[in-house]
Parts: sequence; structure tokens; C-alpha cells
Amino acid sequence: MIKNVVLQTTHFFYEKKITKSIFYLQDSYNMFEMDGEVDIKMKKKKKIKKKDRLEGMKKEMDIDDHEITIEELEMRYTTSVTKGLTSRMASEVLERDGPNELLPPKGTPEYIKFARQLAGGLQCLMWVAAVICFIAFGIEFSRGTLGCFDDLYLAITLITVVVVTGCFGYYQEFKSTNIIASFKNLVPQQALVIRDGQKNQINAKELVVGDLVEIKGGDRVPADIRIIFSQGCKVDNSSLTGESEPQSKTPECTHENPLETKNIAFFSTTCLEGVATGTVINTGDRTIIGRIASLASGVGNEKTPIAIEIEHFVDIIAGLAIFFGFTFFVVAMFIGYAFLEAMIFFMAIVVAYVPEGLLATVTVCLSLTAKRLARKNCVVKNLEAVETLGSTSVICSDKTGTLTQNRMTVAHLWFDNVIHAADTTEDQSGQSFDQSSETWRSLARVAALCNRAIFKPNQESLPIPSRIVVGDASETALLKFTELTIGNTMEYRERFKKVVEVPFNSTNKFQLSVHELEDPLDLRYLLVMKGAPERILERCSTILIKGQELPLDEQWREAFQTAYMDLGGLGERVLGFCHIYMNEKEFPRGYKFESEEMNFPTSGLCFAGLISMIDPPRATVPDAVMKCRTAGIRVVMVTGDHPITARAIAANVGIISEGSETIEDIAARKRIPVEQVNKRDARACVINGGQLKDMSSEELDEALRSHPEMVFARTSPQQKLIIVESCQRLGSIVAVTGDGVNDSPALKKADIGIAMGIAGSDAAKNAADMILLDDNFASIVTGVEQGRLIFDNLKKSIAYTLTKNIPELTPYLIYITVSVPLPLGCITILFIELATDIFPSVSLAYEKAESDIMHLKPRNPRKDRLVNEALAVYSYFQIGAIQSFAGFTDYFTAMAQEGWYPLLCVGLRSQWENVHLQDLQDSYGQEWTYAQRLYQEYTCYTVFFVSIEICQISDVLIRKTRRLSVFQQGFFRSVKPSLASNILVLAICHLFHFNLLCVNPLCRVQWWFVPVPYGILIFVYDEIRKLGVRRYPGSWWDQELYY
Amino acid sequence: MATLKEKRTCGQKCEDFGRFVWNSDTGTLFGRTPEKWVYISLYYVAFYVIMTGLFSLAIWTLMYTLDPYTPDYQDRLKSPGVMVYPPTYVEEDVVLSYNTSDKASQNKMSNYLTAFLKGYNDTVQLSNINCTRGKYFIQDSFDAPRHTKYSCRFDQSMLGNCSGLDDPTFGYNGTMPCVIIKMNRIIRFLPNNGTGVAPHLNCTILSGHRNVDAIEYFPTNATFDLCYYPYYGRLAQPSYVNPLVAVKFHLVNDREAKIQCRVVAHNIAYQDSYEPYQGKVVFQLKALK
Repeated sequence: MIKNVVLQTTHFFYEKKITKSIFYLQDSYNMFEMDGEVDIKMKKKKKIKKKDRLEGMKKEMDIDDHEITIEELEMRYTTSVTKGLTSRMASEVLERDGPNELLPPKGTPEYIKFARQLAGGLQCLMWVAAVICFIAFGIEFSRGTLGCFDDLYLAITLITVVVVTGCFGYYQEFKSTNIIASFKNLVPQQALVIRDGQKNQINAKELVVGDLVEIKGGDRVPADIRIIFSQGCKVDNSSLTGESEPQSKTPECTHENPLETKNIAFFSTTCLEGVATGTVINTGDRTIIGRIASLASGVGNEKTPIAIEIEHFVDIIAGLAIFFGFTFFVVAMFIGYAFLEAMIFFMAIVVAYVPEGLLATVTVCLSLTAKRLARKNCVVKNLEAVETLGSTSVICSDKTGTLTQNRMTVAHLWFDNVIHAADTTEDQSGQSFDQSSETWRSLARVAALCNRAIFKPNQESLPIPSRIVVGDASETALLKFTELTIGNTMEYRERFKKVVEVPFNSTNKFQLSVHELEDPLDLRYLLVMKGAPERILERCSTILIKGQELPLDEQWREAFQTAYMDLGGLGERVLGFCHIYMNEKEFPRGYKFESEEMNFPTSGLCFAGLISMIDPPRATVPDAVMKCRTAGIRVVMVTGDHPITARAIAANVGIISEGSETIEDIAARKRIPVEQVNKRDARACVINGGQLKDMSSEELDEALRSHPEMVFARTSPQQKLIIVESCQRLGSIVAVTGDGVNDSPALKKADIGIAMGIAGSDAAKNAADMILLDDNFASIVTGVEQGRLIFDNLKKSIAYTLTKNIPELTPYLIYITVSVPLPLGCITILFIELATDIFPSVSLAYEKAESDIMHLKPRNPRKDRLVNEALAVYSYFQIGAIQSFAGFTDYFTAMAQEGWYPLLCVGLRSQWENVHLQDLQDSYGQEWTYAQRLYQEYTCYTVFFVSIEICQISDVLIRKTRRLSVFQQGFFRSVKPSLASNILVLAICHLFHFNLLCVNPLCRVQWWFVPVPYGILIFVYDEIRKLGVRRYPGSWWDQELYY
Repeated sequence: MATLKEKRTCGQKCEDFGRFVWNSDTGTLFGRTPEKWVYISLYYVAFYVIMTGLFSLAIWTLMYTLDPYTPDYQDRLKSPGVMVYPPTYVEEDVVLSYNTSDKASQNKMSNYLTAFLKGYNDTVQLSNINCTRGKYFIQDSFDAPRHTKYSCRFDQSMLGNCSGLDDPTFGYNGTMPCVIIKMNRIIRFLPNNGTGVAPHLNCTILSGHRNVDAIEYFPTNATFDLCYYPYYGRLAQPSYVNPLVAVKFHLVNDREAKIQCRVVAHNIAYQDSYEPYQGKVVFQLKALK
């Protein structure tokens, strides 16, 4: 397979390794050509204002500063390329344009952030309920009904719950925002500017258009600048374009596209080496990077899947509440209640249906998971995003810095006619190659000596791969490589004193240096040279094989070609190395070597070998990608880098699996034109930005549908956005990982954006929902697992929480229809909802998975709902019903044992509640005052409360699993603390005569045991249900009773 | 996700709903085929039949275990309540107010008492026995006919001037109205805990002292005689009547007073502020002109 790639790419590699230009011409980097399309999409949903802004943005993109001559440039900005602006002019322009800094993305005002926390689906439900309570309170108060304060308390409690959980969510967001803020580099950036012909160090913020600035290796480019003069200047564009290779910057305009041309350096990119002088052409938000940042802020935030699920759930709840309320309203009217009274019943039922505790439960469950994730270095900005990863079906991953280390590393060596693999792992845990060959020693010597990169001092304590190096990426890679293989390179270089060196330049395409030998007796000079392999080979006449210098004949040339192509096919950057010992007679000690004239041999050298470098994948990535695949998640690579490199890395990490072919591969294998290949046969597909530009959105959708393994290369930020949208159109929940500014619009658009914490730019972190503090792609797998687990567990929690709604509601329904004394009061309901039942429902969040969730497909957002019909119906009409029966049994027991027979209770309500009746007779003829009856009623509340609690203990046990038997899952695992807390609450209620909120008197111990058989019944019934579900999957039983 | 987030028009929603109601492709009605509806309905019918059966069984067992004569617990009836009759309320307070010059308001009060005392009619009380006064009437066995226990006789006439026999207006035609104080009955409750001292009524004037000239009790010793205790319940003593004490107030001056009548016995509590009618009753008496 590699062979095929090589065949196709040979031509490319030959040419491109040196010039790159062909590549650029083929896939010109049309960053802004997609603008129109984005614009249309924006138009649809965004306000006119935003549209205008984007339109404006598009126009501004037509930069021609790189095409005009320097004179024109001077005219345009009234500046001089030698003296710079005048100070007066500079301050005028500064006044006009504002400071040169990116305005922070217009942060949502804090109060809106807080308000957002109060406006979720459940929150709205509770607000409505609170309003209804106020209305009911108003009506009852005006009628002078006693006990109407319950409504007021309820309303206040509802509001309190919403506000408290809102504060909680807000705090969570605030905390993670702080974590992000802490990454910001607070040191003000300096810039060397020439004004009035004088060099000044000024704050980069004060730069203006027209300023003449100097940059040197290690600086951050302070604005978008047109290069006027450059000496070996190379910049790292990776955060802007995703290219890991440094781009050289020269004064010539090489391309009409501002992003492609070599004479513009962009704001916030880093100058790696060399020096350059340039004129500032754009500052602040008008820079390219500023525009991408504002593109990101123009992308709307998507609702999280869990928010959608909760809204769906609220719809169900609201529907049921209104249905029940209305039914009983009609029943009440029919029985003969007054309209107003029936109306109050209606409201009370609607409110009773609101699961007050659920909001708190969901919030706590999510934040527990968020905490668990934070321990694994995933910081979640938005609580709801915790679950999103679990639903994710597509991950669009950036390459550089996310899948790869963003660090050029030596990957392969070719010497002795064998390709050796170097250890590319971050912690040097991999296998090393055979280093015994003599050739290797020579090759290593060339690599060590012909290298200008040096370590920054005082880094001895750091592991070699993470030390900071001054020098370009390949030299850095080589330096670290030699440091790792032959030891102290600095000292090694000292032993071979450098006599002269010729730095790399684009005409020679090589770099050489001449050294004295280590052995003081050996007076020969050693010339070492490295450069583009074919250029090096041209200059060689011999080749080193197993320490022997052999003539470089056709056979060896062929071997070289094969090796070069193989390495090129792996997407690696290949360098050739050669050396020569110079004759001591011809070049005696003290010979004057001239670097300009090169008065020494530069041909007839001895070829030592090839070393190839790549930005290697992170060690954890292939495994993580594999896990994602088993979990049914598609990993798509979307990168700004070149297709060959992208493809090589994709194959390396498993995004393109072994044996997968692209259309081009098939065509090459079958020797047929590309058009004749059946697209369905190709599993893999590599699309580059240029092709993407010409594709309609339908074609893109089709490509995504028909090829399971996709790699997008040379994509612009807009195209990343389009790819994400396309995946979303296909019904996927999309996660985007990225680190660069160029990823930020896609991060924002994604259902969940994941930014890298260390390598990530601030823009990416701002746009993301989740941040991987250790930049470890494998953390995503943890996130997926936790997300899926929390979805399952939330389902269990909700099922548990919903169940008790029925035993809380039925007392009221029976009270209305049968007119028994009220069995359960509203304060007691709140006590259950907000105190005793919170712990058990939260404890379900700790439940371990029932099956290997990482082997299941992601849930189908249209079918696998959080709360489905089966769950609601089973909880309400089966378990809830049993709980109600338990409550009523206990209630009637308590009433009967105190003197009120069940039949007497029926229809007793009006007398029972008559405040003016002080001698109501019970079944035994005893006479009760109103206060005594009221205390009896409170006793009943307690009794009913105890019944619900006993049944809920059983409920929490059955909810631990949905399919497995509780015994298979571990009977008390994970619910122990909550059970203990519940029993403690009951015990406290009993032992200390603890009146629940001062109204519920002592409940006799005997009444605790009345609901126990029902509790056992619930447990047994659910075990039978689970048994049926396990035994007969797909059966009627499974369909109706599995939730 | 995009498809899920699409804003659907009302027409589409209605169409969706229509498809939900009846989907001809799958033959489902409200999400289920008619056959499945039958199954699920049968399942629920069976479920609820069984649950109702279990519930009925539980209630039947409960009733089976109950003692028909005495309740299992009397947690809320540690101390009897006391009430004044006629119980006319203004908001939450008992206010016995009548107009001396308005016949209707007088009749309202007297008619209430007449009705109240119907059960104490001498002829009705004939079926009850005369008991030995001053002693608890403890009956361990069911000696009365039809497996019941005897109840002591309390005649209307024992209320003297307030019996309504001589004065059917109970004094409401003037400034000397009668009120009747009744203590609630509690099974097996023994006032003063079996010490043999009868509980007596003590009415005090809380405000308007100058408006009350005198207080008369009927029976004159103002006691609830011990022979009416203990009470054995409706089934054992079907004809039991509570002993009563009538109080006649002589109103003068403004003819208005706030009165507290308390049954004094050491096992009758009266100080619980949450139970205003426990062991005592506070009422206002107003004879308007």
C-alpha cells in the first residue's frame, strides 16, 4: 500500500521537499473563499448587524499589501521602510485605530451568565410552578382559607431551589473560567520598533499600522507585517494553519493569497530563527488572527444533548401534569366543588407533578462527574457538557498538537541500506535501533556537528525531549536525537572544534561545517554536510556501508531512491548527511577556510545516511483512537497540514486503519482511472481544502456517509466549520478537538469543543466546552466513558426521583375524590424531595456500568432518550402505584388504630377540617377537638412519609440496575451511604421526636413495618421484570418494561 | 443533532402528531398496534387487580386485628377537649352573642340548646340506669342486655334552671343566659386518675369583671360526676351520654365578658397553646341591647 502512495507522491516529494511551491499551487490555501457560504448560513439565523460585520470582514480580507511595491506601501501608510513612522504620526494612527490587541471575545455579562443558569428546562418548569403557587396562595388568602401558607412556602422553596442550583452551576462555570484565565500569559509583550529612525523597545499594544518593526528568533510576531528585509527568518504558523513545519519569510511576494505569500508574517505566530524587518499592515482585531477569533464569536452555541433531553423530559412532565390536573379539575367540578376550589386543585396537582428534587439531583450528578473528570485532567466549562462526550458519535480531531506532539522528532534513519526506526515516544519508552554499526557513528557525528541548534542553559534537570532549544524544528529534532543517542552533544561539539560553517540557504539547499578532529594527533579536517537528500547525493561519490566507504554506483543510488521514497511516503521530512576527511596536506592546520567562496571540496563526499523527521503522534493516541472505534465513535482528522503528512499520521494513529484504501489507492492498484472506482469500495478518503472548496454540501455529506475513515487536509477555519456542520446534518453529535486559533470556530460550532490545555491557544480555550489539561487525547476516552455512564446513571436517578411523584400525588387525588383527611402534606413532600431523597438519587450517579459501555454504539439521539415512555410509565404506574398502595395501607392503619376506621374516613373531609367542630366522634364514639384531629393528620403525614421512604429504599436498590439482577451488580454497592443516611433520618425522626419542620409528630414504630411487605414486593417484582428482560430480549416484555 | 434542533412548523408538528395517532405504515395507534394495546391494557388490568386485591387483603387483615371496643392507641387523646354550647363562632373565637331585643337571635341560641339536650330528655334517659354517685362506674363484663355495658343516666332536669324545662329560652330573653359545658369523651379515661375526686368546672372571667354579677353552676357543685367514667365506647355503651355542667351568667352594665371555663382535674391538661380546647374553653358572652 505504501508503495502506491509513494508512486503517487514521488514526484511531489522530489519537487516539494525543496520548493514546496508545487504543492501550494495545487492546493492553494483558500482560507476566505468559503466565506460566502458561511455568510449565507449566518444570514439565516443571525441578526442583520452580525451579517454586516461578516460581510465587512470578507471585504477587508482583500489585502494587497503583499503585492504592491515597497514604495507604494510607504505611500499607503505614510511611512518609511528605513526610518519608520514619525512619533506624531504614530500617535495619531494609534488614536484612530486603537491599541494593537485582540479585544477579548465580548464576554457575556456576568448577570446574563447567571440568568442563563436560571432558565433551563427544569428551571422554567419550576418557575411556572412557583407562579401557580403564588396565584393559588393569592386566591386562598383572599378567601381567608386557613393553611394557605403552604402554597407560599412551596413557592418560596421552589424559587430557592432554582436559585441555589443556579448559583451552583454558575460557580462551576466561574471556577473553570478561572482555570482558563490562569493560562493567559500576563507578561506584556514588547516590540522593537523603529520610529523617527530610532530603535525603541515599546509595548506591542502601542504598535500602529505603518510602524517598522524588527523581529528575531524567539519573538512573537507583534502584528501582521509585510516583510521588508529578512535573514533566515522562519516562523511557526502552526496555531494559525496547523502546519508543523516552520515557514520561511522573505521579502518577495510569492503568492497572491496573503496567507500563502512569504512576505507577510502574522500576528501571534512565533519567529523561530533569523531576523526580519517589516512594516505593520494590520493591528489588533483587524489582523488575520483577530478575524478568525471574531468568526468564532459569530458562531452560535449549540444546545447540549443533555439540555435537549431535559427539555424533552420537561415536555413529558408538563404534559402529564396538565392532563392529570385537567382530569381532576373535571372530576372535582363533577363532584360538585366550586369552580375556584377546583381551580386550586388543578394548580395543586400541576405543582405536585413538578419533581422539585430533580434539578438538584441532576446538577449534583453532573458536577460529581465533572469533578471526576477534572481529576483526570478534563476541565469542563459547562456542566451539561459532561454528558455530551458520552453521546458523541463523531470526533473531528485536529492533528498538530492534538494527535501529534507538535514537536519534530527523528523517526527513521537509513544507513547500511536498512531503514531503522527511532524511538518517537514522548518518554523514550520505545525500542531503540541497533547502534553498533560504524556507519551509525559517522552519521551521528555529522548530525551532531552539522547543527546550529543549542539547548537553552540550566535545563539539566528536565528530560531531554522537553528541553527548550534555540534553533529551527529539524535542527532541534536532530539535537535532541543526538543528545539522546550519543550523550552530551554540546560537549561533543567542543571536542570537534568548528572552523567554519556555511548556513543553509535556499539556493544551495545544504548546510555544512568544517571541524578539527577530536584526536589531536590527527590533523585532518572533517567536513560535515546535511541537506536535501538528492542534493547531498549529487555531491557524493562514495557511500558508507558498515563502516566501509564503497563507491556510489547505480545499485546504491537505487537503494537510496527506494529508501527516500519509503520515508517520504510516511509523510516524513528527509535530510541527507555526508562527510569527508580533508587531506591534511592540502588543508593543513591554519588553512583559511572561506565560507563565502567555499575554498574546500563540496563534492566527491561520502554519503553517511538519511535521517527523517516527523511530528510524531502522541503515544497514547493510537490506543485512544482504537477505543473510540470500539465505542462506535468515528474519528475524523481535520487539519491544516499537508495531505501526505496528515494521511501518514492518520494511518499511524489508526484513523485510517490498516488495509483501508482510498479511491486513489484502488485506482492505482487496479490500474484504472479514478472515475471508474466504485466509491463504496474505498473505506478511507483524504480530501484536501482545494477539493473541499469545490464540493457542494450534499457532496460533502455523501463523502462523509460513504467513507468511514476520513482525513481532511489543508482546511481553513471556515472549512472546519463546514465539516462540523455536515457531520451534524448527518445526525451525529460532534466533538471537535483542537488547539490552534484556526480551530476555534469549529470548537464553538461543535456539540462539544475540546481544547488542549498546554498547547492550546486562548482563543481555542475560550471557544471550547472542555479543556484537556494534559493535552492527552486519551482523556477523551475517559470523557466518553464517564459521559455514557452518567447518561445511564442519570436515567436511573430520574427513574428513582420520578417514582415517588405518584405516592406524593395520589394522597391529594384521593383527598379530592374520596374526601378522606389529607394523608400527606405539602411540607412533607418537600422534605422528601429536597432532603431525604437527594442522597439516594445522587448515590446512583456512582453506580458502575452494567455492561461494557465502551463496546456499545453511541446512543441514537432520536431514539435513546433520557426519559422515555417506558421509564415514565413503569415508574409512575407500576412502582409508583405500589408505593401509593403502601402509603395508603399505612395511612389507613394509623387512622384505624387511633380510632378512625377506613370507611368512616371516606367522606369525612368537611367535618374533619371544620375548625369550629370540637367534638367530632370517631368510630369508637370518642370525641376529638380540631387540634387533636390536626395532630392526627400530621401523624398520617409522617406515616405516609415513612411508607414512601421505606419503599424508596427498595426503589433505590432496584434502580441500581436496569437489566442485570441487583445481585449481579453488588447488592449494597454504591448505595450504602445513602441508605444509611435515609435510615438515620428515619431514626432521628423517631428517636428524638423530631417533628419534621415542627409539624409531624411521632410515628409509632409499628407503622414503619406496615409498608415493608410492599417494599419487598417492589424488589421482587422488579427482579422478575429484569429476569424477563434478560431472558427474552426483544420480546413484548422487553419492549414494554425495559426503560 | 441539527435535525433534532430544526424548528418545526406547526403544520409539521400536527402532521407528526397525526402520524402518532394513526400510523398506517406500521398500523400503530398512539404508538402501539391495537393488538399491543390489548396486551398492555390486559397487563395493567391484571396488575391493578392484583394490587387492589393485595390492598384489600391488607385492609381486611387490619380490620380483623382491630379491637371493636377499644382503639389500639389513643396517642392524640391523652386529655379531653372541652367545649361550650351553643358553639357560635366569629372567625376563630367562640362568641356567644345575642340581642335582648331581637327574638330571632335569642331563638337561635335557645333552639340550639334545646336540640342539644334532646338526647338528655328524661324519657330517652329512661333506658339508662341510675348509678351510684361519686364513684367510678367500672364494668369489667358485659352485663347489660345484648352484650353491652350499662350507661348512667344524665337527665336534662339535673341542669336545674338551665335545663330549659322551666325556661325554654335558657335565659336568652334577658341578661342571664345559660351555656352548657361538655367535656369530650375518651374511652377508659378516668378523671383524676382513679383518685376518686370528681372533676369540677371552674369558670373565671378574663375580662369584663364588672359586667358579670354572678355565676351559677348546674348541677350546683359544678362537677362531672365520677359515675359517668370510664367510657367504654360506642359499641359497649350505645346509649352513653356525656355529663354536662350548665353555667348561668348574670350580666350587668355593658353585658359583655370574656370567660374561661376549665375542667379542673390533675390529669386534664389545659395549658397547651396549640390546643385551645384542651381542658378548657374560652368564649365571649355578649348580650346586646
